[in-house]
Amino acid sequence: MAEVVFSKVQKKFGAFTAVHGLDLSIAEGEFVSLLGPSGCGKTTTLRMLAGLEFPSSGDIQIGDRVVNDLAPGQRDIAMVFQSYALYPHLTVGDNIGYPLKKRGVGKAERLAAVAKTAELLQLTELLKRKPRQLSGGQQQRVALGRALVRDPQVFLLDEPLSNLDAKLRGYMRVELVELHRRLGRTMVYVTHDQLEAMTMSDRIAVMEGGKLQQFAPPAQVYAEPANRFVASFIGTPGMTLIDGDLSQTGGVWTFNAPGLSMPVGPLTDEATAGPACLGVRPEHVSIGTGPVQGVIQVVEKTGHENIVIIGLEGGHRLTGRVPAPQSWSIGESVQLTLEAEHAHIFGAGPHGARLNRPHETAPLKTKHNPDKTKPKLQKAANE
Amino acid sequence: MLTFRKILFNLMAWSIVLAVAFPLFWMLVTSVKPGFELFRRPPTILPETWTFEHYWKLLSETNFLIYFRNSIILSSATTLVVVAVATLGAFSLVRFKYRGRESLAFLVLFTYLLPSVVLIIPLYLLLVGLGVSNTIFSLVIAYTTFALPYALWLLRSFMAGIPEDLESAALCDGATRMGAFRDVILPQLLPGIISTALFTFILSWNEYLYALVLVNSDSSRPLTTGVMNMLISSFNIEWSLLMAASVMMSVPLIIVFAFLQSYLTRGFGAGGVKG
Repeated sequence: MAEVVFSKVQKKFGAFTAVHGLDLSIAEGEFVSLLGPSGCGKTTTLRMLAGLEFPSSGDIQIGDRVVNDLAPGQRDIAMVFQSYALYPHLTVGDNIGYPLKKRGVGKAERLAAVAKTAELLQLTELLKRKPRQLSGGQQQRVALGRALVRDPQVFLLDEPLSNLDAKLRGYMRVELVELHRRLGRTMVYVTHDQLEAMTMSDRIAVMEGGKLQQFAPPAQVYAEPANRFVASFIGTPGMTLIDGDLSQTGGVWTFNAPGLSMPVGPLTDEATAGPACLGVRPEHVSIGTGPVQGVIQVVEKTGHENIVIIGLEGGHRLTGRVPAPQSWSIGESVQLTLEAEHAHIFGAGPHGARLNRPHETAPLKTKHNPDKTKPKLQKAANE
Repeated sequence: MLTFRKILFNLMAWSIVLAVAFPLFWMLVTSVKPGFELFRRPPTILPETWTFEHYWKLLSETNFLIYFRNSIILSSATTLVVVAVATLGAFSLVRFKYRGRESLAFLVLFTYLLPSVVLIIPLYLLLVGLGVSNTIFSLVIAYTTFALPYALWLLRSFMAGIPEDLESAALCDGATRMGAFRDVILPQLLPGIISTALFTFILSWNEYLYALVLVNSDSSRPLTTGVMNMLISSFNIEWSLLMAASVMMSVPLIIVFAFLQSYLTRGFGAGGVKG
């Protein structure tokens, strides 16, 4: 087990900077997701940790060793690739046993370890097969097995579930969390799927444009996004973001946009009057009564709830979320309330920082859940 | 209508096959005809008397076996050198990123565009300067110059088809660069290596021009120039012996083709659709 520390790590490919001065400290035994859109530098970060790319500057530390100049094999890591990267000419057994073979483990010991890993992953029947004779899910388990057979300090997973179908992906998410709980090893998980990151991680590192945007537990990333980018990236359906102006009268801040004026509450000292952005999660919009006037434009029925898109007077669109029985017809005029205590205020620009004063406790964590599966899994992880 | 087209198609296909196969057939038949039957009119399709005297004469009274040995050594050595260098070269061109990588690859191909005739004189002078002229070794060097660019490009496209993740995985699993190359890349590249080796072997086996110019002693002549020199003079062509020699020259290639033709066709398709 080991902590992983990135200190001012930068990676350049020619003139292009893929990762800008990354500072990230992952605790021992933690499950951390690197989350972001494609091209955000998350895979480059993982590959630098694996030793497949070398940082242009800065230090990477695993445990108490600076590993900058170490080859991947010397770092005591195991990596699962998006493509699985199984050796096509070797049997499943030889694939899983390969890392042990490369470390000079004797044949008898190797076979015993492979058998044990295979049993854990229900691969015992398949040990003599070649990878191409396996289904996607089975190949995925072999790739996991090859990582698990050794007992590395850090597991690196590069979008391991993205080639599976939705059902299997949901199953494997639970399996991976279970595995992490059992092994207690540090795991770094790269994904562009926020659901995976939210449901599995102890902490999420949200990245964009090669920069770390926020590094916090899933509930906090959801409830208190550090900036406008994180706010827009996390959450399905996404947070409504409305550009407008901030003004202050007698210590009370008010947000104004065409067709919308609402008090917002306590802001940090960085807040200034002028252009700003209001963010409201769909679950914090209540439809029925309220000071805001809107017209229902789209109703998306997902089964247990309805997603409602409402046009505001000023041309902005607002997303709301209501339990399934409630529905409106398109074109209907409605009154709305935006819950001021849950409204987010961001500075101007695409990366405008969150200006709300941080909550002393984390009240939102218990008030609502970003994803229904999270508490169950977290409970399992804490057991 | 459909059957008519079918018949026409078959007719055309078979006439092409016949056109290609007849010279081979005639070669075989001529080689086992006694000399007096060769120029008879009308010609006999199958020999009236079968004889292997030409083969026997070639093997016992001429340098044929020496030429044969030279050709085997020459083609094998060339194949070995070319495949070894091209495999590592292709690995470098595909996997490592360095300045001028693409231009280097094109420069290599460019040498292939120059006609051999242009290269022969400088190559000859170079080999004389090196003190290796008139040896099999000098031919190995010469053949490598024209076989290597082609082999490099062929292997490069094979190598590009091997996912980089495989190598990365091997590195993470504790292999060294060379270890990953040996354990993971080479087994994947094997079909490519075999088809490249075949092409190179066939090229060297059939090469004539360089052998004619660079080597003029019987001890290092390969089959192509050796047989030509031995059996064809300004005044006479030993047709029977020539055909027997041709048959024996073709045998190694036919054997190689018979066993490895699937790899060869795969080589033709390299860089296209992955099989």
